[in-house]
Amino acid sequence: MEMTSKQRLLTALKGGVPDRLPVTTHHLQDYFRNTYMDGKTDIEVFDHLGMDAIHWTEPYRPDPSQGEYFDPLQEAPTNPSFSKRIVSDDWCITHEALPDSRYKTIRYTITTPKGNLTTVLQSNEYTTWVTEHLIKEKKDIDIVGEYVTAPKCNVEQVNQEAEAFGERGLVRGTICGFDISGQPGTWQDAAVLVGIEKLILATFDDPDWVHELLGILNGRKEVYIRSLKGAQYDVLELGGGDASTTVISPKLFRKFVAPYDARLIELVHEAGQRIAYHTCGGMMPILEDIAAMEPDAMETFTPPEMGGDARLAEAKQRIGDKVCMIGGFDQYHHFVNSSEEDTRAAVRRRFAEAGEGGGYILSPSDHFFDADANLLAAFADEARQCRYQ
Amino acid sequence: MDEIDEIYEAVLDGDMRATPEYVQAALDAGVSASAILLEGMIAAMNEVGRLFEEDEYFVPEMLIAARAMKAGLSILRPFLVDAGIEPVGKVVLGTVQGDMHDIGKNLVGMMLEGAGFEIVDLGTDVAPAQFVEAVRNGVDILGLSALLTTTLSSMESTIKAIEEAGLRGAVKLMVGGAPVTDGYARKIGADGYAPDASQAATLAISLIA
Repeated sequence: MEMTSKQRLLTALKGGVPDRLPVTTHHLQDYFRNTYMDGKTDIEVFDHLGMDAIHWTEPYRPDPSQGEYFDPLQEAPTNPSFSKRIVSDDWCITHEALPDSRYKTIRYTITTPKGNLTTVLQSNEYTTWVTEHLIKEKKDIDIVGEYVTAPKCNVEQVNQEAEAFGERGLVRGTICGFDISGQPGTWQDAAVLVGIEKLILATFDDPDWVHELLGILNGRKEVYIRSLKGAQYDVLELGGGDASTTVISPKLFRKFVAPYDARLIELVHEAGQRIAYHTCGGMMPILEDIAAMEPDAMETFTPPEMGGDARLAEAKQRIGDKVCMIGGFDQYHHFVNSSEEDTRAAVRRRFAEAGEGGGYILSPSDHFFDADANLLAAFADEARQCRYQ
Repeated sequence: MDEIDEIYEAVLDGDMRATPEYVQAALDAGVSASAILLEGMIAAMNEVGRLFEEDEYFVPEMLIAARAMKAGLSILRPFLVDAGIEPVGKVVLGTVQGDMHDIGKNLVGMMLEGAGFEIVDLGTDVAPAQFVEAVRNGVDILGLSALLTTTLSSMESTIKAIEEAGLRGAVKLMVGGAPVTDGYARKIGADGYAPDASQAATLAISLIA
């Protein structure tokens, strides 16, 4: 019997065998939708290409009893799945455009009773990046720890959107990242705030300070997770590429990543939710470490041709009976400059490597910007023909 | 353990406090600057590279080893100059236009410095014209880095700019970064590709041999 996209994706997410290989993608980028898809919405792109759909949503709510409110000074988020920030009188965020001939450049200032914190972001047509990190001195984390607000989930809105989305696919969210440019994983959030090279060196020079920072960030995420109870999310994202072994060692992962994110996963499960742990980069040396945190799914299984190290068949053998695997597809070499036959053959190889016994969702290994629509259609079509029954 | 062994172990362990102390002690004991560099520091960084390729060391261990070596070099450098010891070559590095990622490029710089090269780091988001200018000023190797698939084309346009400036024969070109492959390197006319910082050092040495 033909499953709905939601049934298919959920079956795989729970480690089961769906009717056929589920096929989807990570976030669809605005650049891709506007350049190659005539500005179609996410759901229109999924429908057009015949993929199992994902609806991303992350609505926050303030807690007025704690003096919190939506940031009145924030520009409307460009992506409707992103919430407005939560601020308070002791955590005010202002921004100013800085002159730059090449990139949109914005300086953000967080004003607190004990001083200001600043960060600078730049963006182009593809993405946004940090050029000045928020935490510059060790004492800055004291300000963060004392005054940062912690968003709560707007469960009612999530459920309204989930009802409207129905059987079309999964409703996904993320564990809240830090204000302005944060990321879901605790270590990943810290890397954005401090800078990854500086953070790595700090683990050797002042590990207690790193643990203190991670503890502060973890506490904020715990508040958010406790507010998730009753939200009809299908899966939430945690993790980030700076916790991959392309960037850090298994030793650092065990000491500075796993203890914090494992705690969050435990809380997520207590709130009745599921986690997909995102590690874009090297995974093979820490596959069992990630699985031991007991996420429901792991992604992105980036292949060596894209700078990762994933050997999908070996990964399936090592952790495939413990978690759902998402990703593993080389979008750089098979969504552009490829033939439809080669792209279809690559889909077949991924199915052969990781599809057996279910628990696998085919997806490009993370975002893509440029893609040939015909190759994407071939990718989805071939996956639809990879049947279990 | 003799003075050279102490320096070797300190660099290998990434001990940035002990390394300069051991370098000073070795100099005080009359060990030549050349021996300290070649048998102590460069040998240690070669071992760091080997351990990295064996998946025993990762980026953090490489970072602190390079930092320790830098600390040792700050003591040693005047003695190297006095002894007339020249770098094995000059390398200009940069992340190509449109790409802001720098940790990979920084690691390559550290490993090349550890292999005895002089490094000029142009930073990130470097325009082709800046690379051309650097080559015009004299350099043995130009290293181009890119992490994003969207900026790979900048790598190709940089090489084209160097060709158009008539400088292609004056410099060896090496490329690297997550989405870069050996096939892509050959396609755009680079002289070599390295998948990681350790192999970049080996490649650079082979390019000037």
